[in-house]
Amino acid sequence: MTIEVRNIVKQYGAFKALDNVDLRVADGELLALLGPSGSGKTSLLRIIAGLDWPDAGEVSFDGENALARGAGERHVGFVFQHYALFRHMSVFENVAFGLRVQPRAVRKSEAQIRARVKELLDLVQLDWLANRYPSQLSGGQRQRIALARALAIEPRILLLDEPFGALDAKVRKELRQWLRTLHEEIHVTSIFVTHDQEEALEVANRVVVMDKGKIEQIGTPGDVYDNPATAFVHSFIGESIVLPVDVSGGQVKLGHRPLNIDAGGAVGPSKLFVRRHDMQIGPVGEGALEGTVRRVRTFGPIQRADIALSGDDTLVEIDAPRDRPLTAGDAISLQPRRYRIFAGQE
Amino acid sequence: MTITIINSPVTVERAQSVARQDLHTEPWLVRGIIIGVAVMFLTVFVVLPLILVFSEALSKGVGFYLAALADSEALSAIWLTLITAVISVSLNLVFGVAAAWAVAKFEFRGKTLLVTLIDLPFSVSPVISGLVFVLLFGAQGFFGPWLMSHGINILFAVPAIVLATTFVTFPFVARELIPLMQEQGSQEEEAAISLGASGWRTFVVVTLPNIKWGLLYGVLLCNARAMGEFGAVSVVSGHIRGETNTMPLLVEILYNEYQLVASFAIASLLALLALLTLIAKTILEGQIEEGQLPRDD
Repeated sequence: MTIEVRNIVKQYGAFKALDNVDLRVADGELLALLGPSGSGKTSLLRIIAGLDWPDAGEVSFDGENALARGAGERHVGFVFQHYALFRHMSVFENVAFGLRVQPRAVRKSEAQIRARVKELLDLVQLDWLANRYPSQLSGGQRQRIALARALAIEPRILLLDEPFGALDAKVRKELRQWLRTLHEEIHVTSIFVTHDQEEALEVANRVVVMDKGKIEQIGTPGDVYDNPATAFVHSFIGESIVLPVDVSGGQVKLGHRPLNIDAGGAVGPSKLFVRRHDMQIGPVGEGALEGTVRRVRTFGPIQRADIALSGDDTLVEIDAPRDRPLTAGDAISLQPRRYRIFAGQE
Repeated sequence: MTITIINSPVTVERAQSVARQDLHTEPWLVRGIIIGVAVMFLTVFVVLPLILVFSEALSKGVGFYLAALADSEALSAIWLTLITAVISVSLNLVFGVAAAWAVAKFEFRGKTLLVTLIDLPFSVSPVISGLVFVLLFGAQGFFGPWLMSHGINILFAVPAIVLATTFVTFPFVARELIPLMQEQGSQEEEAAISLGASGWRTFVVVTLPNIKWGLLYGVLLCNARAMGEFGAVSVVSGHIRGETNTMPLLVEILYNEYQLVASFAIASLLALLALLTLIAKTILEGQIEEGQLPRDD
C-alpha cells in the first residue's frame, strides 16, 4: 500500500504543527519520522491514521482519498507510545478485539478468532501470556501485545508512535532489532515516529527528518548522516562541531583568519559543520585551524579531546584515533576532512 | 446532620495517621494531648449525635418506633424520597457521564465555562437553587402562566421536588468522573476506534468498564445527597402533608410539632442510609485504587 500526503496543514491555535507537508511512502517501506518534540511528526502520523484531521491538504492510500474515511475504515494498525492496552481485558481479548468488532457479515467464527489470536501471540512470542492482564506485563511485553493487537485486523498500513519511547535502553535495543525482523517477515507498509536518531537510522529503510512542522530532508539513513541537506539536519543527526564563519569573495573566514577551504556556494555569514571524527590533527602550520589541547579522554578505540582554538579560545570537542597520542598543552592544527557550510547564522 | 456523618471517615483516618507518626517522634505528653483532642472532637461532633439519634428514636420502645415509621405520612414521605432519588440519580447518571465524557475526552471552546457551570450547584446555597425554580415555574414565574393555562402542576408538586433535587445533586457524578477520565486519557478509545469499533461500542466496551467503580461511587454520593436534600426541596415543596413532604422535610415538621420520637425515628432512617453509604464508599474506594493501571514499569 502506498501512502501519499500532499500539502498538509495543521494548526493548534497560533501553533503551526504541520506546515505544507508532502510525503510519499512506497509499498512495503519501513519509514521513520525523526525530529525533536514539537516538530509535527506525531501530528502527521495521527492524521494518516485518521485520529486527527488536517486543516488543509490531502491524504491518499493507493491513490484513494483516505480523508473521506474514518479511522476505523482505513484498516490502519496503530501502536501507541503508552501501549493503550484495554486494561480490563486479558491479553487474549486485547488481541481479539479488532476481530470481534468487525461487522457481522465479515466477522470470523469464534474458532477462527481463537486460531488467529494464537497465531499472532506466537508471532510476538508471547503465547504463554494469553490469560494475563496488561498490568501484569512488563513494558516490553505490553508493547509487543499492542503490536499483535494492531496486526490482528490485517492492516494495510502499520503506524507506530514512539513505540519504544517508554522502555528502558536494553529492552528498546532488543525490540528495535525485533521490529526490523518482523517487518521483513510481514512486509506491511510501516511508519514509525521517533526522536531517537539511532533508532531511526538503525531500523528504517528511509528517514524523514522534520523540524517545526516542515520536512527538512528525506533520505536513506546513510544519506541523512553523510549528506545532510540543511544546517538543522546536520546538527540534529550525529555530533557536529559548529563554527560561525563569514564567506566573501569565495573565501571562508573564522573571525579574521582565512581557512583556505571551499565555501561550497554559501555567501555571507554562515556556519561551518564538521563531524567530530572528520577533523584531521596535524602539526602547527599545516591545517586550517590551530589550537591547544586542553583535556583528553580515551574511549576504546578513540580519544576525545577538548581543543581551545587560537584567537577567541572557542572550545571544540574532537574524536581522533589513538595512533597519535594527544596530551594536554600540545599545540596542534586541525584540518576538516569533510565538512559542510550552510549560509545563515541561526 | 447527614453531611457530618459522611465526612467522618476522612477525619478518622487523618487523626489515626497523625497519631501513628507521632508515636515515633513526639513525647508522650504531646501525643496524649493530640490524640485526646481528636478523640474528643470526634465523640462530640460525630459519635454522640449518631448515638443520640438512635437512642431518642427508640426512647419509647421498639413498638412506638415502628409505629412512627408505619404512619401514613411517614410512609408517603419515604416513598416520595425514594422516587425522587431514583429519578434524579438516574438523570444525573446520564448527564454526569455525558458531561464528564465531553470535558475529559474532547477539546472545545467554552470548556472552562462548562466545568464552572457543573460546579454551580455546589457554590450556590440550596435555598437559592429552590427559589430559581419558584421564579421559573411559580404562578408569577417565567413559565408559570403558560403552565397554568395548560393545567400542568410543577411547583408545590412532585416534579419541582425532582427538579430541585436533580439540580442540587448534579455535580456529584460529573465531579467524580472528570479527573478519573482525564487521568485515563483517550488512548484506549482511540485504539478501539482505529481497530474498527463504533463510537457506542467503544463507550460500552472500553470506557464504561474503566470508569465503573468511579461511576458507582459518584452515584452513591449523589444518592445520599438526593435523599438528604433539605433546603432546595423545602422551598419548592409547599409542605403538603402526605403529598409533597420528603423525609428530611417531615423530620423538621414533626420536630416543630414536638413529636420528638417520630421525628427521630425518620431521622434514624436517614442516619442508617448515611452509615450504609459510608460502608459502600469504603469498599468502592478500594476497588477504584485496584482498578488503576500503572502506566509504565
